[in-house]
Amino acid sequence: MIEQKKDNSVTDSAPVSEEKVTVSSSKDVVLRVEHLKKYFPIATDFFGRPTAYLRAVDDISFTLERGKTIGIVGESGCGKTTLGRTILKLYDITDGEIYFEGNNITGLSKSAMKKYRTDMQLIFQDPYSSLSPRMTVGNIIGEAVRQHNIVPKDEVHDYVLDIMKKCGLRPQFYDRYPHEFSGGQRQRICIARALAVKPKLVICDEPVSALDVSIQAQIINLLKELQTRMGLTYIFISHDLSVVKYITDRIMVMYLGNMMETGDTAGIFRNPLHPYTQALFSAVPVPDPDVKMKRIILEGDIPSPANPPSGCKFHTRCSKCMGVCAAKAPRYVEAEAGHFVACHLYDTEIMNRGDEYDLTPYTPPVESEEGEKTDE
Amino acid sequence: MKQKGNYLSVKDSRAIIRYNIKQMKHYEAEKRKPRTLAEYTVPMRDNRNLIEIDSLKTCFFTDNGTVMSVNGVSFDIPKCKIVGVVGESGCGKSVTSLSIMQLVQAPQGQVIEGQIRFNAGDLGQTEDGRDIGYDIAKTPTAEMYRIRGKDITMIFQEPMTSLNPVFTIGYQLDEASFIHNPGISAEDAKAHSIEMLKKVGISMPEHTYASYPHELSGGMRQRVMIAMALVGDPKLIIADEPTTALDVTIQAQILELLKDLQKKQGCSIMLITHDLGVIAEMADEVVVMYAGRVIEKGTAHDIFHNPLHPYTIGLQKSKPMINSDVNEPLYSIPGQVPNPINLPNSCYFKSRCSKCVEKCEGEYPRGVQVSDTHWVCCYLYEEKADAK
Repeated sequence: MIEQKKDNSVTDSAPVSEEKVTVSSSKDVVLRVEHLKKYFPIATDFFGRPTAYLRAVDDISFTLERGKTIGIVGESGCGKTTLGRTILKLYDITDGEIYFEGNNITGLSKSAMKKYRTDMQLIFQDPYSSLSPRMTVGNIIGEAVRQHNIVPKDEVHDYVLDIMKKCGLRPQFYDRYPHEFSGGQRQRICIARALAVKPKLVICDEPVSALDVSIQAQIINLLKELQTRMGLTYIFISHDLSVVKYITDRIMVMYLGNMMETGDTAGIFRNPLHPYTQALFSAVPVPDPDVKMKRIILEGDIPSPANPPSGCKFHTRCSKCMGVCAAKAPRYVEAEAGHFVACHLYDTEIMNRGDEYDLTPYTPPVESEEGEKTDE
Repeated sequence: MKQKGNYLSVKDSRAIIRYNIKQMKHYEAEKRKPRTLAEYTVPMRDNRNLIEIDSLKTCFFTDNGTVMSVNGVSFDIPKCKIVGVVGESGCGKSVTSLSIMQLVQAPQGQVIEGQIRFNAGDLGQTEDGRDIGYDIAKTPTAEMYRIRGKDITMIFQEPMTSLNPVFTIGYQLDEASFIHNPGISAEDAKAHSIEMLKKVGISMPEHTYASYPHELSGGMRQRVMIAMALVGDPKLIIADEPTTALDVTIQAQILELLKDLQKKQGCSIMLITHDLGVIAEMADEVVVMYAGRVIEKGTAHDIFHNPLHPYTIGLQKSKPMINSDVNEPLYSIPGQVPNPINLPNSCYFKSRCSKCVEKCEGEYPRGVQVSDTHWVCCYLYEEKADAK
């Protein structure tokens, strides 16, 4: 039945994803996400039927090959964490398809998902709150191993010690409690716990943002080393662009639940196309007092995802906003090979038809907030 | 009181508690003693400095032993300059700033030694022309009420937790005016608060004035915090990780705003952060701290182009840069920050240092003045200086 569903979706899907399918079938694809949507109901009517939605993840598609890392970048509230958790099916999926190693896992029940749980693991942001204070390190790491019968029961102890060694934890830590460790070492415990069940895909949800710079480097190196040694595939969620550059092969920039730009890391850093990506990159402080970056300062805050702007969701803060941006949502176009961007500026079909679309620079109809600013 | 492994024996634990109670009582009694103006004012070393911190020691009496959070820190904050304090968590940068504000959690936390001279400019001069300043370590609490929130203000890291959720923004802003200017009328206070909100780039100040903190976004809240810090027309703003909780794009806005305000208001800023990028962008002078001590200080140019201490060098190398090469593994400083209880009298960094020399086993290095502006605390340079 699963196979059937997969076939249907391939024939139904848009031309862009068809192309993706042909590309992906030639390589070893671990995860394929197609038009994934996750809406949270935020208001209900008298009968409890939802009337308004918060579009946390809105139409996300990507494929991820074995041994590669995709970075998901964006401001807080852009839906990157929700995306990670939806892929793990910790949230119910509103729409779209998820394929894990070619199997459609979208419609699977909780008990059917259990088979896949060992293949997909999550590393959380805050190592202080994600470890049970009443379990020893050995138990924390070994719990899932016992649960899923990864190794025979009498070998669990040795197996856990082996994993701990791989993650840079000393064997004498086995009987200690999490409160005896510093942040960096706790994060190592979290990594060991995730890797103990031999996963294929690891979703790292801001694994280093709670750590100090010198510890951050240790953890990044550890993650990279484990990836080459164990052939892991990562989804790396972060807001720190310099870290993302270091660890990822591809990047996806998100804004208000939408994909703004995807491409390989080197390409995006060399030539960021979307005005939002450009602004995001220019905002990163460079540790050199003599480098004065030409900074694109975005005005205002990220709009509420419950009430997103019309057309292109970024047009209210965009410095290159045109009339068409407020009216029409941009298509996802391939501006360079493998480098997709959702912006009218790179859509030749729109840009060549100035008679039909309004391409003049345009300041969005300011709400009362910005209204006073222009008066001053 | 030597620790065996990770656990304290009951006997040791009791001894520590007894010692702590004795110490805390001593320092609390010291604080309550009535003092004359002459006792808590001192001449400044240099009139151009706003704050001079001299071998400041702040410790916490905990059940596991005495933690020297700040262990002999000395640096100056010149007038109209931004001084950046950088270091890992637990290195004492926040405690230094709290000591300046006299806000260290008492009775466990006590300033036990050293001077913090604050040049308020209202105490006249000595005969040889030096300004007289307050010694904040000795200033009585009642006197401190006048300074705190007016001459020295603070911007905290978490804008959500530092604003009171049950009062409007306006109420919280006016409060500062009422306290420091008792005669002010409600209308004047409101006008002043709204002016401050305008200054920090809030586009609808009247609307924001009447709203509650939960109605604002993170960036707006941080702007309100800055407005609140500006109400008393301060001479020094202490910004304790002002942008850590914010997104990069909002961080860029806030940093720009702080820089702009510093120029307009002519105040000094003490910027505490662990982000070297933010420091490079903002600071004129940089102080690098490690395990409660200053290990290197100098101008931003000195620290970023000619870092001397192995820790500073390691810190800079381990920061992934947006414009750097990504093919080689990231440099990381091995090991971790030492346990702050019962630190030995030797360089605290030596177990993590790759450039250790024989002398490092000895007592804590004195520190060398490498150039007029650049000071470093490491034996590597002491030898060179001695050779000269």
